[in-house]
Amino acid sequence: MNVDAVSAVFREVLEIPEVTADSDFFVMGGDSLLATRVLSAVARATGVELEFDDLLDAPTPNALSKKIAEAA
Amino acid sequence: MNVVVVGAGLAGLTAATELVARGAEVTVLEARERVGGRTHGLEVEPGGWVDAGAAYLGERHTALTALLAELDLKTTPATVAGASRFALRDAGATRPGRFPPLSAVALGEMFDALEEVTRLVRPDAPWLTEDAARLDGLTAERWAAERLRHPDARLFFSLFLGEMMAADPARVSVLHMAFYLRSGGGIRYLNAFEGGAQEWRIAGGAHQVCERLAAALGDRVRLGEPVLELHQDAGGVTATTPRGRVRGTHAVVAVPPVLADAIDLRPGPPAPRSTPATGPGCAVKVHLVYPSPLWRELGLSGWSVSAEGPLLSTVDDSPAGERAGVLTGFVTGAEARRYAALPAPEQRGLAVAQAARLFPELPPPIAFHLTDWVGEPYSRGCYAALFGPGDWPRLGPGLTAPHGRVHWAGTETSTEFFGLMEGAIRSGHRVAAEITWRETP
Ligand SMILES: Cc1cc2nc3c(=O)[nH]c(=O)nc-3n(C[C@H](O)[C@H](O)[C@H](O)COP(=O)(O)OP(=O)(O)OC[C@H]3O[C@@H](n4cnc5c(N)ncnc54)[C@H](O)[C@@H]3O)c2cc1C
Repeated sequence: MNVDAVSAVFREVLEIPEVTADSDFFVMGGDSLLATRVLSAVARATGVELEFDDLLDAPTPNALSKKIAEAA
Repeated sequence: MNVVVVGAGLAGLTAATELVARGAEVTVLEARERVGGRTHGLEVEPGGWVDAGAAYLGERHTALTALLAELDLKTTPATVAGASRFALRDAGATRPGRFPPLSAVALGEMFDALEEVTRLVRPDAPWLTEDAARLDGLTAERWAAERLRHPDARLFFSLFLGEMMAADPARVSVLHMAFYLRSGGGIRYLNAFEGGAQEWRIAGGAHQVCERLAAALGDRVRLGEPVLELHQDAGGVTATTPRGRVRGTHAVVAVPPVLADAIDLRPGPPAPRSTPATGPGCAVKVHLVYPSPLWRELGLSGWSVSAEGPLLSTVDDSPAGERAGVLTGFVTGAEARRYAALPAPEQRGLAVAQAARLFPELPPPIAFHLTDWVGEPYSRGCYAALFGPGDWPRLGPGLTAPHGRVHWAGTETSTEFFGLMEGAIRSGHRVAAEITWRETP
């Protein structure tokens, strides 16, 4: 999943347009409930099942996209 | 204008206060020997109060926050930092924050499905939702069985509905679940502490709202007077209680739907306020009192979630600025019904033993309080009535429609923040405006 695709998921879940490659999900208003919806979208798109801590670790589209690639 | 208000909960007292301000004569008839209804305070140490009923609010609860400001009541944050304890699949786990040790992807799928169905519903008139018939005919339990594959999602779903609505998934329609979640601001707002519906508690207890409203109304409020009959004729309405009759030009019935139907109304209303499918929300609250919030020193928030009851979740509700530490345990849904039926010593034993398993580092509590809302004859359902399959199409259209001189209030008549304190207060404002408007030449 490339950075743009992850950004698109952030946008949809957070319901805000202004997400860049370096936007921090939790700073942009994400909480644990919304985090699970990011992870389910990632799993649907890639088959990769990440944990909540992975998103805490990699809270930007940039970082998360790398994490998905590593796990794939 | 001379109005008889039935019920001295938030809805009835808000309506009464506003009607008095608009120049009406008002009598409030309350069945219990106290005001407050589903808000109720318990004094766990001198000056230290906890909420046996409603407790939490957030910034979208604008009618409530405005009322708090008028009454000079303050809020206190409901969040406590620290790690949580979980007893879900594994015996016990301590985790930083509130995230449970379950598959995040499975929970995400559950919230996706809930979000989808919550968006479908028409919040101002759920019975007019497209596809209402299908959603109304389906119980939340069946919906979950069809939609949720992962066992973690199913487990969490029933805990979530218990926490949010005190509902047993087998007894609530998907339409009502979706409506309730939407009405309260959506799943995310309802679920959140910070920035959500559990942002604050009312310092000193939520019961003070009704106590202060009642104090200002003075002897207009009469306790221990359950209204048994409401008879209307061309000139007015007569309410009968075991102590006598009260006559008014209008009446406001501000009690839960099942209790409204228990009043002998003549002539009878065109439609009932509840049906056999209308279920009680089921909640028992227990309070475990400790000499101080000892768990905080151990880096724990007091928050726990368990798959097995009775205490499906615990939260730190220690009175702000006092010494005592209080863990509130929530027993909800089907578990509440089972637990409420047990003898008192067994109830206490089970709760204390579970707290000891969850928090083995704590000493036994120094006091224990239990509030059984399931068995309260003048509540019959908490947090609020649960509309079962078939209810919305039958009950929805008449939710706020006056029956002659009889007007309806109560949190279950508010499509905004249904089931919450906020909904109750909004219904009180709505009904006061309705009556004043009618009387304006
Ligand atoms: C355990 C629990 C936790 C809750 N948690 C929250 C929370 O955190 N946040 C939140 O916003 N809400 C919460 N709620 C819901 C909230 O308490 C209610 O939505 C709100 O208090 C309802 O107010 P009301 O005026 O509509 O009804 P009620 O409070 O039920 O008032 C009705 C009144 O009518 C009286 N009455 C009944 N029948 C008659 C009769 N025939 N004649 C005369 N009087 C009668 C009753 O005694 C009662 O005083 C909770 C409820 C419970 C029980």
